[in-house]
Parts: sequence; structure tokens; C-alpha cells
Amino acid sequence: HAQVAAGTPKRNIQLSNIIEECSNGRRVSRLLELSPKKLEPLPVEEPKTPKRNSRAASTQPTSASKGTPKSANKMKLIRDGTIKPNIHSRDAPVQHDANELALARERLHVSATPSSLPCREKEYEEIYNFLEGKIFDGCGGCMYISGVPGTGKTATTTAVLRALKQLSEEEEIPKFEFVDINGMRLTEPRQAYVHIYRQLTGKTLAWEQAYNLLNKRFTTKAPRRITTVLLVDELDILCNKRQDVVYNLLNWPTMPTAQLVVVTIANTMDLPERLLMGKISSRLGLTRLTFQPYNFRQLQEIVMARLAGMSAFNSDAVQLVARKVAAVSGDARRALDICRRATELADDQAKKAHLSVTVSMMHVQQALTEMITSAKVKTIRSCSRMEQLFLQAVTAEVTRTGIEECNFLGVYSQFEALAAFSGVIVPNPGRAMAICARLAASRLLICECGRSDIYQKILLNISTDDVHFALQASKLL
Amino acid sequence: MDAFVKQIANTLPCRDGFVRQLYRYYRTGDPFPPALYIYGQSSTGKCAILREVFRQWPGEDEGLRCAHLNAISCYTNKILFETIARQLEGAKLSQSNNYSSDGKLEYAKDFLAALRQRLDSDRSYVIVLRNAERLRDMAHNLLPLFLQLPEATGLNISVVMVSSLPFEKFYTKTGLPPLLKLFVPEYTRAEMQRILMNDFAQHILGLTGYQPRQDKQWLFAVTEEFHRNYVTLFLGTFWKVCRDVKELRLVAAECFPPYCEPIRDGTIPAQDSVKLWRNITKTLRAALSTMYMRLGTKSVGKSVTPDGTTWLAQNLELPYYAKYLLIAAYLASNNAAKEDRRLFMKNHGKQRKRLQTVNARAKVVEKMTTKLGPKAFNIDRLLAIFYAILDEKVGLTCNLLAQISTLVHLKLLTYASSAEGGGGGSAMLDGSATRLQCTVGMDFIMQIGRMVGFNVRQYLTDFF
Repeated sequence: HAQVAAGTPKRNIQLSNIIEECSNGRRVSRLLELSPKKLEPLPVEEPKTPKRNSRAASTQPTSASKGTPKSANKMKLIRDGTIKPNIHSRDAPVQHDANELALARERLHVSATPSSLPCREKEYEEIYNFLEGKIFDGCGGCMYISGVPGTGKTATTTAVLRALKQLSEEEEIPKFEFVDINGMRLTEPRQAYVHIYRQLTGKTLAWEQAYNLLNKRFTTKAPRRITTVLLVDELDILCNKRQDVVYNLLNWPTMPTAQLVVVTIANTMDLPERLLMGKISSRLGLTRLTFQPYNFRQLQEIVMARLAGMSAFNSDAVQLVARKVAAVSGDARRALDICRRATELADDQAKKAHLSVTVSMMHVQQALTEMITSAKVKTIRSCSRMEQLFLQAVTAEVTRTGIEECNFLGVYSQFEALAAFSGVIVPNPGRAMAICARLAASRLLICECGRSDIYQKILLNISTDDVHFALQASKLL
Repeated sequence: MDAFVKQIANTLPCRDGFVRQLYRYYRTGDPFPPALYIYGQSSTGKCAILREVFRQWPGEDEGLRCAHLNAISCYTNKILFETIARQLEGAKLSQSNNYSSDGKLEYAKDFLAALRQRLDSDRSYVIVLRNAERLRDMAHNLLPLFLQLPEATGLNISVVMVSSLPFEKFYTKTGLPPLLKLFVPEYTRAEMQRILMNDFAQHILGLTGYQPRQDKQWLFAVTEEFHRNYVTLFLGTFWKVCRDVKELRLVAAECFPPYCEPIRDGTIPAQDSVKLWRNITKTLRAALSTMYMRLGTKSVGKSVTPDGTTWLAQNLELPYYAKYLLIAAYLASNNAAKEDRRLFMKNHGKQRKRLQTVNARAKVVEKMTTKLGPKAFNIDRLLAIFYAILDEKVGLTCNLLAQISTLVHLKLLTYASSAEGGGGGSAMLDGSATRLQCTVGMDFIMQIGRMVGFNVRQYLTDFF
């Protein structure tokens, strides 16, 4: 056993050396996925020299049976990409009761993306053609995809890439590498280099090094280079003042040596013209694709496609959700969330009545009121009487002066008058300021901080009609 | 509780209600309030009493540990957090720990973790934070954090914030949790008299130190009754002006020896309070004008001008041209630019008297330019006026220009517009970019004018 143990690390050292030279990410991971099984019986032995210790440690992969490496070493291993991050898992998956409503809820979950997206066939086709052409030609290019949130931009693009990946594994199209970064997940635009380099090679470097290596990779010729597809989600977050990161990401595809295809996704249609410098928007090119918001038919189709073969939902209920959501934003995620909430409400009812219940219009209506109606009116209604009086004083002051912004002194004089009318003792200005601060903390008002006490500017954060409506209901007016 | 209150009242009288309230909050064994805000005027005994209340009494309340700190000294989060953690832990900085605490506490997260780990949950802790209004200028999470420390740490901990502002000035845009507020009122006249009479022994000590040792018989005349008379008389003069305990005690101690002086000489008997009062009024009036100036015991009885400007003007030795420059700057600041032609040119045209100008001249005191404060002027105008009021012709040398900047350094002139022209100084020679203001007052410039033989009043448009 001991001989095996002594032998194994050595072999691994050599392997790791090779890996570093060829800098091919997938090979690293494949090799290291295998290695723990080999090394599992290895007993922890006392190494003789510190040099060997560090090497042995660096070649020891993660395995729960062995003692974890020391923290400094561990960090090094993580940065090298030898250890992959993983999370704790349950011993066994949670048992579901095979209720139809529960099943529907599972299918309606936003993260349960179907393999083929309904109502996005045309866009799918366009992205597919673009990417397939670029991969076949072995040249680089850019594409810009835009659309409001929840219109299936990322889902469609990743579906295309999944299909292409499958084809390339079946060797019908040339092999390609796929890297995706999301602007929202980066702490800083320059970290984009680090993430791209990590996905290509598995190593974590400082951004300067990563940038230099990437630049070298994309600008020098290599005979057997394969195409890299880079998906940049949330492009607008990557734009800083100098816009150097965006420039580099869009400049590399123009190099004949790079074979890089960049697909960028953002929300606004005119982002390249509005935010990006001329040299960047020209590099981004004119291959644009806009995802229109779903109309109610499409939303209905999406929900129905998820619920295919189930009778949990009333079709009128689905239509109501689709129409309500399409009128506001056309966001598929919102429609799915409302449907899920409706199934939860139906489930509650079913548990109470011990019956099987399908989701009906009533449940959907309830879910809609929960999720769409504003909380402000409710907040005003649950305010204390003095706070309501103060809000009323602010509206009175706004109507008196005709200007939306009023200052505390004016509001306080109105407040005094109102309090006198309704027969309450007028709180002193300090108390009134406390009331004002409370209302500002719940965002019913917008105030300055308390330091500029009686001269602070007050702005109503809700419409005066809302205040009137809410106060009428509480019988203050 | 009564014993406790009495014990504190020995040294710090007239604060029984406040001490009782603090005792109820902190010394009955109940969990502490999360935060207490104590406010009141300065020197009403807030901090002194807090120090006494949270002092470790021998034999009781061994579990209480207190951190006293001043928010002004904590100009970074790190200092604030580390000072609190160290004091609550009971650690002392010494050579053995290299005058530093073990961990760096830069963020609120670290601070809370340190409190949770290092502090003992059986004990109770109090943080007394003076000048708490500075918390508003620090990081935005500090004030909400300090208002709910027990919730965040799970300890019996309380933050006592001391400030002279009402809590209305602390409200933030995101709202604050509720807290207890305690107002400390000012001392009344009777209370102040009691406090000053407590100093009897100290005053007697001052007398013996002040006098030669030979004749002590007269000291028997200085009884407590005599001292009470003195205090009443003293407060009669000073109560309207000042209610600050510290100042009043200082001045009372300073004025007592001169009050006793005639008794020592034997000129006035101790019982004749009217004569004593007449004797002392001059000294008291002089002391009244030097209130808050802390000039020391020697100044009592000497006549010092109220604001000290003439003293400064007589003792500030400026070069000849610098004096003229300063006068020119004063004239430029306090005269309108359109009047320059009439004031300083030899052949200005004839003045027409119109009703409008006559009305404009009829100024009220509030509208006089010397009362409204100095206006800004540029260097060209300053030099023009300087050459106009100077009889001889001098060349515009660099010495002259350097004197302008020296006057700025001495803060007799200031840059009026610091934003433009890169802080003022760099664009001095552009003429237009730099605008200056004269900061000295009327009396000061009159004195300077008298020294060089120049009548400033004659050139001020206010006095026509």
C-alpha cells in the first residue's frame, strides 16, 4: 500500500505539469475527476521534506475521507482549479406527495426551463443560424440580443448552445468551446477576464495576468485552434467609464486569429448607440435581435405548454393570468409566479376541504390581488391616526402652494389646523418630526435627514388620490 | 436606592431625579434598555454622573463593565470599535501587547463577532458615548447598530449616548428603532447657589495660599454665613450672563480673595455687606467682561477691553506698506465700487444732488456696509486704492505683492472664492480670478489708521 501511495503523487505531478503546459480546461477537470478514486486508499503519511509536502498536498484532490488540506494550501488549490467548489447535499431527495397540484407547481417553476421554448422559434432559428455559420466558417463575429426582462433571451440562447454542443459531440459540426459570463455576477468589469480565463483553463489569476494571457491567446496564431463562443449576459454592467473591458471583448472577434464569437445580451434596444463609444458599437456590428414582450396568447401558450397533459388548471384561469401580465409587462416569469401562487392557494383550500381542487378563476384573482396591487394604500390604512393626519397635512400643503415640494414649517402649520379641527392635541414640532421620519422610513414621504429640522423639504411619494382614497376608507375625511 | 443617591449627592448635588432614573434603568438587576439617549445643555453634570453611576462599587454589581469614550476622538470605525471592544473586555494597552488589540475590527460585522465571542454573557455591559451627535457623520450603519446592540449580540448590553442636541436631529431617511430619552435640565438659581457654596473649603484654601501666613486672625471672620452672602452677591451679577457651572465656579474662586481683601486690611468690617459690595463691583464687572476667556487669576481686577481688538492692533507690528495695504483692503471691502471714482480721484465730475441719491444716503444702521459685512474685491482694485491713499509713489515690487499674500497668511485677508481659481492662491496674478475679503473690524482698522496718521472714517461712504 505504502509503495502505491508513494508512487501515485509522483505520477500526478507529471500529469499536472502537462496540464499546465497545454492549458486545456476540460482535460484538467476530467483527469481530476478520475484521480480521487485512485487515491482514496492513500493513508496520510509523514512527508520528509517541506518541498515534497507542498507538492504532495497540491496533488491530493478533495476527498472527504482524507483530512482537508491546510487553508493556505487549500486556497492555492482552489486558485489552481484543482479543487472544485461543491455544496453540501442531502442524503436523499425530499419525498414529494404525488399530488397533481404539487406536480403542476414543480413544472411551473421558473427554473424548470423546457427544452424547447414555445413562441420563440423564429428567434431560436436566427441565433442558431448565426452561430452555426460562424462555427462552420471558423471566423469570429458579434451578435447583440435585446429585450425587456422575462422574454426568454438567455433561455433561448442557452438552448441554442446546448443543441450545438450536442451536435458537436456527435461530430456533425466542428468542436467549439463555450464560455459564459454574467455582468451581474462580477464585482468589477475587469473581473470578466478572470472569469473567462477560469472557464477556459480552470485557473484563477489576477485580472492583469488573465488579460495578458487571453490577449496572447486571441492574437497569436495557433494551427489547431477551435472556435470559442462567449456569451456575455447583462452587457450594460460591464460598461465602465473607460469601456476598456467591453472594447476588448468586442475587439478580439475582429482578430482573424481569435475565432471568437461573442453573443451579448442586454435589456435596452439602443444600448450600443446610447452608452457605448463609437469604436465599440461599430465593432458590435449590426447583427441585432430584439425579443418582443409576449402577448397574452403567447403567455397562455407558454403556461399551457408547461401544464401539458394535466388537468390542474382551468383554462380560463390561465387566460386571465396571461391577459393581466401581458397588459403590464409581458414577463413570462411573472405569469409563472402568479400561476404558482394560485396553485398554492388552491392547495391550501384542498387541504382544508380534503377535496381535490383545480385552480380556478377565484384563486387566480386572489393571487393577482396579492401580487399586483400596491401595498401603499394598505400601509396608509394601517398608519396611526397622527400619521394619517400628517399625510393629510402634506396633501393640503401641496394643494395650497401648488408645488409638489413643501417644507416642514408649512406642513406643520397645516397639521396644527387639521389637528385642531379634529379635536386632537397638537403634537409639538419634535413629535411631528418623529412622525415625519417614520413616514419617510416607510417611503410614503421623501424627506431630508433630520439635521435640517424645520427647514427640511418634504415630498409626497404617492399620488394625492391614493392618500384621499385610503383616508376616505378610514373615515378620516 | 436612597443610599446610592445620597452617596452621589455628596459630590454631585441637585441631580437626585436623574440619578434615580439611571438607578432604575441600570442598577435594579433587570435587563438594560438597549439604548438610552441623554441630552441637555453643556455642563449640567451628565457625564460626571454617568461616570459615578457606572463606577464599580466595592461589593456590589461586580458584573458590570463600562466603556467610556468620546465620539470626536473616533474618526474611523476601527478606532471606535476597537476602543469599545477593548474597554468592555477589560484589557489594557501596555508594552506587553505592543499597545494594540489582538484583532482588527474594521467593519460592523467584525465588531459584532468580537463582542459575541470575547464577552461573557453572564456579565452586563454599558457603552457611554459622549458627543453622540458625531455618530451621524460616521458610517450610516453605526447609529442603527448602536440602538439595537442587545438584539445583535445577545448580551445584556446598553448604549448610553450623551449629547446636547434633541433626538429629532438624529432621524435618518431609513428610520431608527425607538429608544429611551432622558432630558437633563439646567440648574436653577437655588441649585447653583448650593453648588457654589459647596466650594467654601476650597475658597478658604485659596485665601490662605493667597495671603502671607503671619496674620490669620482675620480668617475667623470668614464664616459660612459670610460665604453665603458672597455667593448671593456673585450670582446677582453673573446669573443673567452665564449658567455654566464650570465657568461660574472658576470666576467665583477668582473673585473671592479681592472680596476679602478689605477685611484683611481691616478697612471694612465683615458684617458691612453694603460696603463690601461697593468695593467689589468694579472687579466683578471686569471679570464679567473676561468671562469664558480663561485668562487666569492675574487678570482679575485689571481693565481689559471686552473684545481685545485694540490690544491686538497695538501689538501687531506690521510693516508700513502692509498697514496701508490693509487699510486699502478695508476700504475696498466696505465701499461700493461705484463710489471709488468720487472717493479717490482728484478730478471727479460734479456731484448732482438728486432726491434719489439723497434718499439713498439716508441710511439706517442695519443697511450700512460696515454692518453688513465685507464684500469681495479683486487685487487690481486693492492696488488702485492703495496707490490712491498713499502719498508717496512706490514701485510695484514683488515685496509689495508678497505682503498681500502675507496678510492672507495672517488671516487679516481671506480668499472670498476658494472654489474658483484653484484655491485662490494660484491665480493671484491673473487679477480677475482671485477675489479677496478683508476680515478685520472697524476698531482695528481705526487703530491702524491712527498709527500711520490716516483717517479711515473720512473715506468710508457710510459716514458721509
